[in-house]
Amino acid sequence: MARLNDDAQWIVLMGFIVSFSLFFLAILINQSTVVGQTTAEAVSEFPKNDIRGVREVIIASESITDTTEKERVQREIKILSLSRQNAAVDFSAKSSTTHTYIDIHYNNGVAAYNETYTTS
Amino acid sequence: MVNENGQLYTIEGVAAGLILLLTAYFVVNSTSIYTPGDTHISDMQLEVIGADALTMMDTAPNATGKSPLTQIIESGNADGFTSMFLSTANATTGERQDTIQFQANLTYVRSDDSINSTLFARSARPFTGTEHAVHVSRWVILEKNLPGTTGDRHAALVEVLLWRD
Repeated sequence: MARLNDDAQWIVLMGFIVSFSLFFLAILINQSTVVGQTTAEAVSEFPKNDIRGVREVIIASESITDTTEKERVQREIKILSLSRQNAAVDFSAKSSTTHTYIDIHYNNGVAAYNETYTTS
Repeated sequence: MVNENGQLYTIEGVAAGLILLLTAYFVVNSTSIYTPGDTHISDMQLEVIGADALTMMDTAPNATGKSPLTQIIESGNADGFTSMFLSTANATTGERQDTIQFQANLTYVRSDDSINSTLFARSARPFTGTEHAVHVSRWVILEKNLPGTTGDRHAALVEVLLWRD
């Protein structure tokens, strides 16, 4: 009985196979809970409504006829964007004889948006 | 005759299996403490409902007229805002109403560049800070002199916190 007993090795093998497969299943389950969360987070972090809102208000501000009022409103838009929506917003308008071109830049650190809007 | 050799190997195999099972159990158990993704999905939907309600309120009846939202803010009609926002946001198919509550602030820039954000309107249940609220906002250009400002035309933000009761 001094020799090494090498019977029942298949039971040891089965033990290893079952436990390793369960371990990999645990990793799969672990990953599947994170998948739904990261997608939903990515959607809620993208500032879709902020970009649309600031774009609309910039275009609306461009149609103010009084120059002093227009400058004041546009300055307020930049200050409010920075302090309430954490976004650096800059815009300027150029006019040709027929159209006005508004360069809109938006950046909140996560998403950047640039557009040249042309009035009809 | 039953061979009784190698029993120690068997016991060792079972023990190893149990240890690994326990490890797997702890791994699965510890991830369930993580915030479930479902809460973010309902946040997203609530945000869309709020933004849509504000967009509807900010839609003018014709090209020259003012939107109901701008008129309400300019006249300081808090009750009008409350009833319009709640009826828009809580509308469901059928008779039963949704249970969305809100608190709306009007935020603007004073002439010394400081930000003023004051409560404009809120629903019956006050916001205590423990609700799981989402934030939506809408830009308006007001033809009105606001406290602490000069001039009669200002950009302002209508900021709404909304949550399900």
